[in-house]
Amino acid sequence: MLPDTEDEEKWLAEGIAGVQHNAFYMHRALDSNDLKDVLRYSVQMLSELRTSLLSPHKYYELYMRAFDELRKVEMFFREEISRGNISVMELYELVQHAGNILPRLYLLCTVGSVYIKSKEAPAKDVLKDLVEMCLGIQHSVHGLFLRSYLCQISRDKLPDIGSEYEGDAETVNDAIEFVLQNFTEMNKLWVRMQHQTAALVSHAGIIVILKLLGDLVLRLEFELSGLQGLTREKDKREKERSQLRDLIGKNLHILSQIEGVDLDVYKETVLPRVLEQVVNCKDDVAQHYLMDCIIQVFPDEYHLQTLETLLSAFPQLQPSVDIKTVLSQLMDRLSNYATSSTEVLPEFLQVEAFGKLSNAIGKVIEAQAYMPIVGAITLYVSLLTFTLRVHPDRLDYVDQVLGACVKKFPGKAKLEDSKATKQIVALMSAPLEKYNDIVTALKLPNYPHVMDHLDNGTKKVMAVVIIQSIMKNTTCISTADKVEALFELIKGLMKDVDETQDDEIDEEDFKEEQNSVARLIHMLHNDDPEEMLKIIYTVRKYIVLGGPKRLPFTVPSLMFSALKLVRQLQGQDGEAVGEQVSATPKKIFQILHQTIEDLLSVSSPELALRLYLQCAEAANDCDLEPIAYEFFTQAFVLYEEEVADSKAQVTAIHLITGTLQRMNIFGVENRDTLTHKATGYSAKLLKKPDQCRAVYACSHLFWVDDQDGVKDGERVLLCLKRALRIANAAQQMANATRGSGDPVMLFIEILNKYLYFFEKGNPQITSSILQGLIELIKTETQSDTSSDPSADSFFASTLRYIEFQKQKGGATGEKYEPIKT
Amino acid sequence: MASRRRMLLKVIILGDSGVGKTSLMNQYVNKKFSNQYKATIGADFLTKEVQIDDRLFTLQIWDTAGQERFQSLGVAFYRGADCCVLVYDVNVMKSFDNLNNWREEFLVQASPSDPENFPFIVLGNKIDIDGGNSRVVSEKKVKAWCASKGNIPYFETSAKEGFNVEAAFQCIAKNALKNEPEEDIYLPDTIDVAGRATQQQSSGCEC
Repeated sequence: MLPDTEDEEKWLAEGIAGVQHNAFYMHRALDSNDLKDVLRYSVQMLSELRTSLLSPHKYYELYMRAFDELRKVEMFFREEISRGNISVMELYELVQHAGNILPRLYLLCTVGSVYIKSKEAPAKDVLKDLVEMCLGIQHSVHGLFLRSYLCQISRDKLPDIGSEYEGDAETVNDAIEFVLQNFTEMNKLWVRMQHQTAALVSHAGIIVILKLLGDLVLRLEFELSGLQGLTREKDKREKERSQLRDLIGKNLHILSQIEGVDLDVYKETVLPRVLEQVVNCKDDVAQHYLMDCIIQVFPDEYHLQTLETLLSAFPQLQPSVDIKTVLSQLMDRLSNYATSSTEVLPEFLQVEAFGKLSNAIGKVIEAQAYMPIVGAITLYVSLLTFTLRVHPDRLDYVDQVLGACVKKFPGKAKLEDSKATKQIVALMSAPLEKYNDIVTALKLPNYPHVMDHLDNGTKKVMAVVIIQSIMKNTTCISTADKVEALFELIKGLMKDVDETQDDEIDEEDFKEEQNSVARLIHMLHNDDPEEMLKIIYTVRKYIVLGGPKRLPFTVPSLMFSALKLVRQLQGQDGEAVGEQVSATPKKIFQILHQTIEDLLSVSSPELALRLYLQCAEAANDCDLEPIAYEFFTQAFVLYEEEVADSKAQVTAIHLITGTLQRMNIFGVENRDTLTHKATGYSAKLLKKPDQCRAVYACSHLFWVDDQDGVKDGERVLLCLKRALRIANAAQQMANATRGSGDPVMLFIEILNKYLYFFEKGNPQITSSILQGLIELIKTETQSDTSSDPSADSFFASTLRYIEFQKQKGGATGEKYEPIKT
Repeated sequence: MASRRRMLLKVIILGDSGVGKTSLMNQYVNKKFSNQYKATIGADFLTKEVQIDDRLFTLQIWDTAGQERFQSLGVAFYRGADCCVLVYDVNVMKSFDNLNNWREEFLVQASPSDPENFPFIVLGNKIDIDGGNSRVVSEKKVKAWCASKGNIPYFETSAKEGFNVEAAFQCIAKNALKNEPEEDIYLPDTIDVAGRATQQQSSGCEC
């Protein structure tokens, strides 16, 4: 049944040709001042507008052609009258002789425009006459365009305040009345369209009917169900209506431009009348569009002052109207207005805008029983946005919105609708973005309640959003209570949910989440040690629930956060102050000890070992020898019992040696025990090169370059000699197997250790020992067929260093002098 | 006939929502200004008599909806325009960036016979706001753009204070007048139209 576009183009071209053809003769008549012919051809030209074949878009093109021509006719009429050939009243009568009503009314409106301008009759009378005459056209498209023509030609001739057409007998009320009447009639025509199925097929469409009949036969053959056709017909009608909507909306635009429509007139007349029409037409397309128009064409100030009236219309709209979009636009406009200047803010308070909007939303949701939950939430998001922008200081309002939203959720059920959850995320993110501060959001009692209605996946998303907000704003959460509230909020990230574990969890995502929790822990801080300790307790309480996958991420953060507190407390000895004080290093070390044990229970020995060493070092700095010793013992036990992988052993032993070297509180006995262990383990590593390196590193355990550091030259030498022996053994093994090992490198490394201690003044290391080693390396490098360039250059630069030291002269130069390179 | 046609000059004002198209027209035609934002629906025109070189012309100024959703019927009214005014807000970069789109859209839709030389005019409005302190589009930048598009005349205006509005529209009118009339010359197939006319009248009902 739909005329295809090709046909439509053809019909439009025919229409345009008709207009041009008649315009041609009309122009000739205009040039010869032949009124009769002007009327005759203009009527014929306007007859082209009687077509029913065109879509509103195409019809508009045709209309514009005729419109442009009518401007010339209008000018001609004015000239004729000024020449005295005819009076305007006579002309007004004359054009009514046209045979067809549509051309007749176009001409009548055109003369009417001249009539009003001539001021020979009051504008209001002419306008009233015209707007009523237009009732003669009941064809929707024809009527709408005719009335929009009337609207346009009368646009600058309304008896508005300050207008030249204003008089004692005619006032702005007449102007308003005229536009309102035209608006009402146009809306009726527009709404009626949806009930007119056969409207398309009118007099001019006989060809169409024939074509339709043909189509119908075809359709019966191919398409047993006509339903599809009906839907298409309906879609097409909706589309046509949608194209026409601005013709109706333009009346509202004109109303808004009338000077005399001040707040009072708007409040008393314009708004109630327009709303009455909108509500009573009971048409969802019209209601949605017109509400949008009202909001857009009239000023913010008016909306604010008539909020109650405007809002009262919403619950009365058809259930299928997309109210949330329209209301959101209203709130958007109002909040923009509120932020435009500080002077308008009191107005908002005065009219209680928040209460009214909140109330209206409640009513709309109630009235629209079938509104999906996402619709309700979207409304609350808009209201929240409004509240945050207009009343940022009113946390109670914000909470009220959240609370109202929570009430709309069905029972305890989680939301399944993904669009709805998206809106919830928006709802919960809005306060974070506004206040840049989770602490404020934590003050909102309903905030966690909203979270409760999210599914587990979205809870995590929201938790990440919260953490990101904290990180971005470097918000410090400073009390244990707040920490508790926060962790309650983000507990989706803190532990596995009770339901069956989802195997689908993406490893990368999980890491990202847990890293963010780890970062978050550093934001929980209070300078007061007592409160900080409480925070640490709270954090621990939550993270131990995290299970094997989470603890490796979260425990280190807690550890370092706690060690920070330890450092703060350094020097204060718990025992001296008394038992009442809980925040003592000792106490904290106890917690840490337990926490590392928790970590061990989930088998992360390597991480635990590192943390033991960190604690040992911190205990060292606090002069707590027994505690430091205990941590070391634990580290060694772990090494013995849990670290089996040879690579991990190498790493671990270097960490142990490195930490132990820095420890200065151990008494001789404890120190001996620990160093003995460390060297012992070093020499027992699996690979010779690893052994060698670990052992020469142990030399540092006996020579600490501090003022009161250990300086046991003999044992240093023992270590180095032992390293050399191992290097020798490694070399022999390499030779035997032609392996890829590179023992020469080991010798050079050892030479460098010798040089270090030589320079530090270890009396056991003499220039002759160095000389011997250099010779040895030289022989090795020469005999080695597969020379290693990195070893060569390392050796070369070592020798260069020695030369450089010689050239320094003085004591250093003297010391190095005997060594020959 | 030609003289009658040339007495009417059609001008189209285009630009983003909220740049002040309606305000410029109201200031020019009615010498009125309102600070309140009111969206325009569809297309709407006002006329004003102008005098150019001792001759009187009627300027038909079409104000348009900046918001796309209020332009449901399309832009058939672009046809036959003699000049196109592109308006932006000197305080909103986006509104300047969009001038190009508006210009292109106009040329596509109105398809003037000589698009290269079709008269455009650019107005940078709202220069009064915050004493010019919130301005983000520099005069240099606009002028460079205008130059690149065939030396489009540029005016800085304040519809609120009426600054430069009169001058801008004088320029608009002059440039509109310079535009060669676009009207396609129509030649009828046959001089005898009576037949066709009667045919037309005999068919169909009264509406």
